[in-house]
Amino acid sequence: MTGILRIALAHVATAIRERVTLFWFLIFPAFVLVLLALIFGNLGEEGEISFELGLINRDTVSAGPIDFAEIVEETFRSLAEPGEGSAEPLFTLHQPNDDTDVEAFLDSELTALRRGRRAAVVVIQAGFGNAVFGSYGQASSDSAKLSVYMTTSNVASQMATEIIEQVLAGVDREILTRGGRYDAAQAIEPETVWLGTTGEETPYVDFVLPGIILMGFFVNGLFGVPGAILFNRDRKVLRRYWVTPLSVPRFLAGFSIGHLALCGLQFVLLYLLGRYALGASVSFASPSAFLLLLLAAVTFLAFGFLIASLARTTQGGMAAANILNMPMMFLSGLFFPIAGLPFFLRLIVYANPLSYLAQGLRASLGIETSVFTPTQILGVPLAWIALSVVIASIRLRWDVER
Amino acid sequence: MGEGTLLRVIDLKKHYGETKAVDGIAFSVANASVFTLLGPNGAGKTTTLEILEGIREADSGTIEIFGERVGRITRSIKQRTGVLLQDGGFEPYLKVREILTLFASFFDRPLPVQEILKHVALEEKAGALVRTLSGGQLQRLALGAALVNDPELIFLDEPTTGLDPQARRNMWSVVADLQDRGKTIILTTHYMEEAEALSDSVCILDHGTIIAEGTPRELTQAFGEETIVEFRIDDPSRKALGGLQTCCKQYRVDGGAVTVETEDLLTTMEELFAWSRREQVPLDSLIVRQPNLEDVFLSLTGRRLRE
Repeated sequence: MTGILRIALAHVATAIRERVTLFWFLIFPAFVLVLLALIFGNLGEEGEISFELGLINRDTVSAGPIDFAEIVEETFRSLAEPGEGSAEPLFTLHQPNDDTDVEAFLDSELTALRRGRRAAVVVIQAGFGNAVFGSYGQASSDSAKLSVYMTTSNVASQMATEIIEQVLAGVDREILTRGGRYDAAQAIEPETVWLGTTGEETPYVDFVLPGIILMGFFVNGLFGVPGAILFNRDRKVLRRYWVTPLSVPRFLAGFSIGHLALCGLQFVLLYLLGRYALGASVSFASPSAFLLLLLAAVTFLAFGFLIASLARTTQGGMAAANILNMPMMFLSGLFFPIAGLPFFLRLIVYANPLSYLAQGLRASLGIETSVFTPTQILGVPLAWIALSVVIASIRLRWDVER
Repeated sequence: MGEGTLLRVIDLKKHYGETKAVDGIAFSVANASVFTLLGPNGAGKTTTLEILEGIREADSGTIEIFGERVGRITRSIKQRTGVLLQDGGFEPYLKVREILTLFASFFDRPLPVQEILKHVALEEKAGALVRTLSGGQLQRLALGAALVNDPELIFLDEPTTGLDPQARRNMWSVVADLQDRGKTIILTTHYMEEAEALSDSVCILDHGTIIAEGTPRELTQAFGEETIVEFRIDDPSRKALGGLQTCCKQYRVDGGAVTVETEDLLTTMEELFAWSRREQVPLDSLIVRQPNLEDVFLSLTGRRLRE
């Protein structure tokens, strides 16, 4: 046992003392976290952004002399026109044509919203005008129905929704004030429908922090593990171990404990940075989040062993890691939604354990609802771990070839 | 296995494809002795040692070690052996003390790390990173890692290759000290002076087979009572060189170096000086010495150890 712990300590000490490892292990993910939080954390400041907005008017039959639905629609249209001095319009509107099937258009807009191409979709529901008109005559106790679809996977969506609520409140007040019947109790009540969310707003840093932690684990496993093993093999460090009673399984146990300790350290440092420097409030204190973080660390550790087993030299291992790095990182849903990808790229997404771990972790933190089932979230990474371990146990050479 | 024999190897073979790295060798190593495998690069010394160290497995053959006949070197055997590899590395970002503590943790009964540091004279470097050590210090650290379990049998694979003369002498004194403490040492080297200085017995390998075995004295005495005279000449192609045959029965010319073997040193020297005066050939760098293991290897193979 002492030997295993000493191997683990040696692995941690080496990683912390080596500048290149330290950079990729801590500086790089911290840098990415700060960069993303600074750039995207301030999205939506006045004059900086135009929201893509889907607008559908289902209330085509006006019951009274005034088409209230048309007033709302017109208000959004006016906000979609350039402002004074050619200022960027607040919204870019997407509306169905006269001959378009409204329900099919709504479906396509909701798909666009899920893919991150819309900040929100506003639907003026059928009966909206009646409800408003009724509020004039007190004939109806129903409030006017207007649905706003949004998603937390797109930070712009949250900001757009807040603006829409303010716009609608202004429209509501204007309609009622004109009729001399402004009544807060009868105001238009926007119904917010959250897609894939718990209904709570999520600051961007909370959204991105789990992704950065996973990215750190990923880079640590993909580059750090084969780097350490192949370097030690090529430099014949491992040979010194094999002439002692230390066995390969004990070495692996020590190495793995050291690697997981590094991942733990990485998690703590990134979490502290996110919480105290960038104001993150997301809590990882749940068994499911802990399990997924551990699963992620072990999955990428196994991937590292797989790469080490397939490479003949350190350079070869690093090249293989580089080849896998980009497609795995970007075809995982870490940085953008995956639904709109071409079929062959989606195959990579569905084979990529990072896709399941990213969604699973965000879901366990209440940031996002996963499209994958719990079985898939656990099963696919576990399958990769099993496959990697089997291949590595067959292929991994612990000594230089003669 | 005899009472005083710590290790015996019988008909050991290891082939890599068509290459017969070790081709049926057999030898015994006495307890508390220094046994040397001597031979040029590629002779099979390191492969033999790696089999005995447990890094590689032999294709066939028998190993008797610590009174046990084994098919391969087990972990319990490794508890009792220490290995100084020819080309092993260390984690460059670990400290000297950490390396020794790490290696000590692999054994059931390690020596205190401080004792090892003192033994290999690295106390002052205990807190230094491996990457900052000199070649000699690295070799001492490697020796410390090999001795951390106070082994009964120590393998030293080319322990002085690449070291400067001072570091080489230091290593020799460490080996002598280990022998004084009753350790059994198996040494490989291609330095004949090292083998002569340190060995109780020598096994000369070439092309994976043993071509001679015995104590250094026994091996050199195979030359009989001959003495070696060496000198250099400017132009080995000179006609005058032919006249050398009249005064020296056995001589070799290698570039500008002439080696003469003689049983009658006085007569040979008189005739050599006469030849030198007659032919006006100066005898540069003239030395007279006893035969050494290099001469033994040369006479057996027609090649020098370092060719």
